[in-house]
Amino acid sequence: MMHQTIKRDGVETIGDPYLCLEGMNKKYGLVEVISNLNLAVRKGELIALLGPSGCGKTTTLRMIAGLIAPTAGRITVGGRDVTQIAPHGRDMGLVFQSYALFPHMTVAKNVAFGLEMRGLSRADIANKVAKALGMVQLEHLAERKPRELSGGQQQRVALARALVIEPSILLLDEPLSNLDAKLRDEMRTQIRDIQQQLGITTVFVTHDQVEALSMCDRIVVMKGGLIEQVGTPHEIYERPATPFVASFVGRTNRVKGKRTADGCIRIGSSMIRSARPAVQDDVMVMVRPHRIHIDWNAASTEQQGETANRMAAVLSRITFVGDVIQYHFDVGGSEFIVEESTKKSQVSRDQGDKAVLSWSVEDTLVFGADQ
Amino acid sequence: MTTATFDMPVGAQKSFGTAGVAVALLLPIALVNAIGFILPVLNLARMSFNEALPGGGIAEALTAANWTGLLHDSFYIELITNSIVVSLGITLATLLVSYPIALYLHRASGAWRTFLTVLVISPLLTSAVVRTYGWIALLAEQGPVANVIASMGFQPPRMMFNTTGVVIGLTEILMPYMILSLMAGFGRLDPKVEEAARTLGATPFRTFWRVILPLTLPGIALGCLLCFVLAISSFITPKLMGGGRVFLLATEIYDQAIVTLNWPLAATLSMLVLIIFGAALAVYSRILRMIEG
Repeated sequence: MMHQTIKRDGVETIGDPYLCLEGMNKKYGLVEVISNLNLAVRKGELIALLGPSGCGKTTTLRMIAGLIAPTAGRITVGGRDVTQIAPHGRDMGLVFQSYALFPHMTVAKNVAFGLEMRGLSRADIANKVAKALGMVQLEHLAERKPRELSGGQQQRVALARALVIEPSILLLDEPLSNLDAKLRDEMRTQIRDIQQQLGITTVFVTHDQVEALSMCDRIVVMKGGLIEQVGTPHEIYERPATPFVASFVGRTNRVKGKRTADGCIRIGSSMIRSARPAVQDDVMVMVRPHRIHIDWNAASTEQQGETANRMAAVLSRITFVGDVIQYHFDVGGSEFIVEESTKKSQVSRDQGDKAVLSWSVEDTLVFGADQ
Repeated sequence: MTTATFDMPVGAQKSFGTAGVAVALLLPIALVNAIGFILPVLNLARMSFNEALPGGGIAEALTAANWTGLLHDSFYIELITNSIVVSLGITLATLLVSYPIALYLHRASGAWRTFLTVLVISPLLTSAVVRTYGWIALLAEQGPVANVIASMGFQPPRMMFNTTGVVIGLTEILMPYMILSLMAGFGRLDPKVEEAARTLGATPFRTFWRVILPLTLPGIALGCLLCFVLAISSFITPKLMGGGRVFLLATEIYDQAIVTLNWPLAATLSMLVLIIFGAALAVYSRILRMIEG
């Protein structure tokens, strides 16, 4: 009774692999935009495909939807091979970045479209459309045309239209990127709530790390058509597998170092340690700006403990961002940014002030310099 | 001592300036239209109430005889209906052959699209007379088209000097206008919307019927209006390809004006064509309102 993952024949339960991509490959002419992509999305999870533009995340989503044919590879949903199935036979709900609502139909007609294609009765359609519009709080706009709606309302219509057909998988292609910041926060919560309420397996394409971290069960970080790392938001943030992941997700300071005989890392004249041993002689050290503590009064860096790294630094610039204040330090020729929450009674600092920076060995990320 | 100033307020001066410029810019075309179009049309309208004398004379009068004569003469009733039906047929044929081309062009991109667009427009660079003679050569009794049909074992139909020839010739001649109008009206057709329909379970056929076709209706309406107007007023192709055996409004106007020298009747028929234009325009704007509404 501890785990509710009792598997019955043909019925997947929450947490089992559901949407599987195996050896996916996509070439346009000689250009390979996706190379050997393997991914298992679990039943009921919200997974983000995160990466910069051109990383292949949208191509991957469109291949799942059947709008692009893969050059090689296999897509299965609940064990059923859908690779050769046309988009209209795949039973997937797709929300486009531009919403792609039918401009000549009312909101209700837009939402009803997928149900009409499935040949449902008029009464069933009316019922389901009303329910779907209720879910996104748009019942009162059912008879409007899409052009009479705001961006956020159109977005919710697109979501209702994709969900009303009760698809096996929901695909979201940067659904929030055309909304303003405040609305984006609201929609984030709303999409996550609906997704969890319905328990629908969802693939979410985004270039926004905050969206990926705050909404998703797991994140797939992609770069140049390859998967860099798959993990929970916590894993991706705290234990990035590659320097790209470390710098793409969250902000980070980077500084070059050298491995020494005793396993420490030398940066300039300072020695630091990391929880993970360096695998190469030339290394790249990364530390998150808000994990660094500033000691303005420390006389020296002598008290090098077992659990903390300490380095002497000189303040070069201050940036006030409102909720945080960024101190730019010069550390042996490299720039280190340190973030602190602002307080009303901020002690003012000047360029050239000396300080000792310290951070936990745990927070010291080390990668090979050529990684 | 006070000095009177005659300066106009700045705002008034400025608005007078823009209005003045607008009038100055619009005046030439307004004059050309008034002298070259409105006055002659008014003259035609007036002439349609004059009396025709035998031998080409015109008697100043105010009689509706020309108009009532048209509506009581079975030849003219048939001529009018025939013209409208043939023009509608040509419009439909032009639409059917042009639509797929326009849709393909709408989806094409880059240099390929430019090349194809130039290809579509290029027939407009040749005169309709030359193209009509080309069709006469192709469709003649022992012409290539007839020979191909005969070689397949069929009796080639008459395709020249009858309505079939006129329809074939005008359909081809009007295609560039139809394709350009369709493309101009395809603005609302976003490929993403078609994709949305596909992912919602619509087959390609139903996607076309429920999404692509409704979204391209404005283009269809525009193209049909233009082609109908051009078809019903075309003269050269029906004259040459009809071989004097196909009677349409434009050819009849020519005959009445140039051959029979019955100018009042020619004027009446011309006014009738204008009325048909007006009706077509009314139908078009009504359809457009239905689509947009």
